[in-house]
Amino acid sequence: MKRLLAIGIFIITVVLVGISWFTSGGLARQRMYSAQTPEEAVRLMVSQVQAHNWDAAYSRLANRGEVDKAAFVRDLAGSNGSLLTYANLESFDVWGLHQTNQDAIFRAKLHYSTAVGPLETFRDLKVEHDGNTWKVFWPTTRLPKLAPQVIPVNYLRWDVINRGAQDDWGVQNVDNPQVRIISMNALQRPDSVVLVGEIVNEDTIPAYVNVSATLLGPDGNEVAQEGSFDKISHTLLPKQVSPYRIDFPGMRMDKIKSVRMDAKAMLIAASADPVIEVGQQHIETDALNKKVLRGQLVNQSGQIVNIPHVIASYYDGNGKVIWVSDGYVDQELLPQIPVSFGLDVPDDVAKNVQNYHVVVNYYENNNS
Amino acid sequence: METSYLKRPIPLRMIVLLGLAIHGPLLAMQLPISTSYDANFHIFFASHYAQHWFNPWNVKWFAGFSQTTYPPLVHQWIAVFSHLIGLNMAFMLVQLIAVLLMPIGVYRFSRLWVDERASSYAALFSVFVGAVAFLVYSAGQLPTTLSFPIYLLALPYFYDWSRSADFGSLIKGVFLILAAGSVHHVTLIFGAVPFALPVLWLAWMDRKRDSSGLAVLSRAAIFAILAAIGVGIVLMPYWISIIQHPIEQIPIPHASRSNLLMNILYLTNYFLMPYGALLLAFPFVVWIGATNRRLWPLLFGFWVTFILALGGTTPLPKLVFGRAFEILTFERFTLWASFMSLPIVGLIAERLLDRYRVKAAVGLALGAVLTLCMPMAWLSLSPFKANSDLNVDAVIGFLNRDGHDQYRYLTLGFGNSLPRISTYSIANSVDGEYNSARLLPEFTHYGTAQLTSAKYFGTQGMESLRAMLAHANHYGLKFIFIHDPYYEPLVAFAGWRHIETYDQGEITVWSKDDTPPARPIPSDAIPTAMEGLMWGTLPIGSSILAILLLLFIPDHRITRPTEEAVLYPVPVDERELVRETR
Repeated sequence: MKRLLAIGIFIITVVLVGISWFTSGGLARQRMYSAQTPEEAVRLMVSQVQAHNWDAAYSRLANRGEVDKAAFVRDLAGSNGSLLTYANLESFDVWGLHQTNQDAIFRAKLHYSTAVGPLETFRDLKVEHDGNTWKVFWPTTRLPKLAPQVIPVNYLRWDVINRGAQDDWGVQNVDNPQVRIISMNALQRPDSVVLVGEIVNEDTIPAYVNVSATLLGPDGNEVAQEGSFDKISHTLLPKQVSPYRIDFPGMRMDKIKSVRMDAKAMLIAASADPVIEVGQQHIETDALNKKVLRGQLVNQSGQIVNIPHVIASYYDGNGKVIWVSDGYVDQELLPQIPVSFGLDVPDDVAKNVQNYHVVVNYYENNNS
Repeated sequence: METSYLKRPIPLRMIVLLGLAIHGPLLAMQLPISTSYDANFHIFFASHYAQHWFNPWNVKWFAGFSQTTYPPLVHQWIAVFSHLIGLNMAFMLVQLIAVLLMPIGVYRFSRLWVDERASSYAALFSVFVGAVAFLVYSAGQLPTTLSFPIYLLALPYFYDWSRSADFGSLIKGVFLILAAGSVHHVTLIFGAVPFALPVLWLAWMDRKRDSSGLAVLSRAAIFAILAAIGVGIVLMPYWISIIQHPIEQIPIPHASRSNLLMNILYLTNYFLMPYGALLLAFPFVVWIGATNRRLWPLLFGFWVTFILALGGTTPLPKLVFGRAFEILTFERFTLWASFMSLPIVGLIAERLLDRYRVKAAVGLALGAVLTLCMPMAWLSLSPFKANSDLNVDAVIGFLNRDGHDQYRYLTLGFGNSLPRISTYSIANSVDGEYNSARLLPEFTHYGTAQLTSAKYFGTQGMESLRAMLAHANHYGLKFIFIHDPYYEPLVAFAGWRHIETYDQGEITVWSKDDTPPARPIPSDAIPTAMEGLMWGTLPIGSSILAILLLLFIPDHRITRPTEEAVLYPVPVDERELVRETR
């Protein structure tokens, strides 16, 4: 009896640990390591990427001879302070698109947590049967190399010299720049009220702007207050226009009588450099049957832009702003090298879009 | 009379002195402040009581929160001592008291199960238990480490009352329970069953021949009812706050809840380091516990706490605790399992010393030292860093000058240095470190802990941070201090501008120009004046009363069943060879 108690305790402990090991995916993980199926091969490679186990992930590639390991890591972990360098692969989904005995194509949906919010990217991966296991064929990406050249910088720059070291930022004893909200459109979306529009800097000096809005109810009381947050280009050079969007989650238009807009601007030092060209803009339907505004960004300056942020305003036939969408580009902008972007456009908006205007905001990590 | 040191019980005062020799210098160096997660947090709570003894509403975190959400006793004692020796040393003093109470508690608890010599070994080993070092120097869980030995001290009184109806034991036991509960509610709520049930079982087994089992159970019920009523009254403001605002926030991930077998770092941090060489003893603990019927309750308690300490490694904790599983952290169960095993470990040591003498002593000493040293070494080797020893003087200086305290602030990447800023600055933050006190939707709707460590909670953490930044104007959140450049892109895109740099770029200050000055955020969680009065008197009053009762009411010499305690070697009738000279 006494021995049975000790043995019983041991067995129950092992069984409990075993149950949790099984339900936590221990068995599935063991199977994945064998990579006996194309899906397991893709999952194994991506899970090694998730764990930043680059050597192991690289060893799962079928075309290691063609893919430089540094390029492979750069592809997945980013470089030059791009958004991917501020990202962690949080989770992923994998599903097959095509499969034979010898090869297969699988799509991996990668869910990143980044410094500016969640980011999802898709990778279509070819998988090849290699002996007893399957291995992933990684697409080779070669960065174009530019010839050495000198790029003259002759863009405008504004400095502010009357700011003392002891002054708080924003206390400069000069008149604030003149900015004006040139349009505002209130929209009812399924789960929110959204205000979209544009703001212009009418002054001859750069402005740092924030737009906020207060919804007023039928009795004139404040119902909600929100700001444009990151859905605006805060730095506006003279005469520059930026779209803005303010979301009021959970609100309904029928509860709102009016809107009070507030645009605050202050003088800042700014530069027109780097100039980022936006080209090849067009709305298309993507593989998931969603409307997307696509285009290319080209950094015309000689310095690297670490994190570009694209904001687009969409107009109807009357020139009225009917939507504003934004997105962060996960690649850095190297000088002269085009980088594509894509912004989602809601289907109900896309059918009324006649024109669009794209501005590019950016973050450079040497600013601080 | 036995003359060999290896065959005699070790005097308890020597064990306490050993504890003082080991932990005294480490605490005098204020090690927990620089290495632990929670030391600064407890000092912050204490600093509030030092200034506002009867007002538990603290506006420095979360735009205002109630400190009645955390039992106050340990913080109040720190606050009292802080007026003499300062906050940091007051924390260390209370922590030292906790560490020194442990061998006393273990000795008294062990005496219920094993003989005096084995109990003294158990008390000796308690000084070296890795879980203690882990909780004191890595976790910084002062309330857990103080409440637990007080609870251990109460258990023998619970046993004596249940078994022998000793009224003095009832009074002292109940007041010790009140003090333990006033230090840490979680220890009392979740530690009561795995410790009290085995002791009750033992009292039932050891009951006097003329006493019925029902009488034992009835007395235990009386003890439990009195303790529950007492805790209910002493911590009344806590119960009011928890009923008014039950913890309904999205669960926050914690590594101790994960399946430790799936992550070698978690396994090391929550299993190998806290247990150390004790793991080698566990098979023997089970074997010896199973082979002696009187140790079965203890074995049962050990096994339950051991399994619970494994967190998500077994399904049992989730089944037992239900929703509370997502709120609890499980490192404290490791401490409980370790201490639950100590009486039997003491018995094993007794047998080893009798059989192998010096060799056993050397082996046991090495094992004990290794068990203590492993978690201490892990403090520097571990990839998990509390980041609690940042130089934040410049941040405090900024907040305390030029009216910057009119606005609220946020720190990003400061880890557990945030409470230090809050303790010494006069400005208020929207962030804070105590998850259970948070009521702002920007926190409760996301599965994340502090905003200052948002990135470690992935998308949930960053979405919570975005939500807070989006409502900056509402909260008067103007200043953001960044110690981790990871957060700079979001802050820059959201409309803040870099204005100052400290410590060669280690810390940057960001400001948002259009933020209005902070205004009080209305809350229905503000305690009433009566609650503040109760909070400021009853918990500390119960602890003072418990101390007085222990000092001035001597323990009745209950016929402790030394004849029933597990002895080694098994006593045999021997004729005295030499009569004692009187």
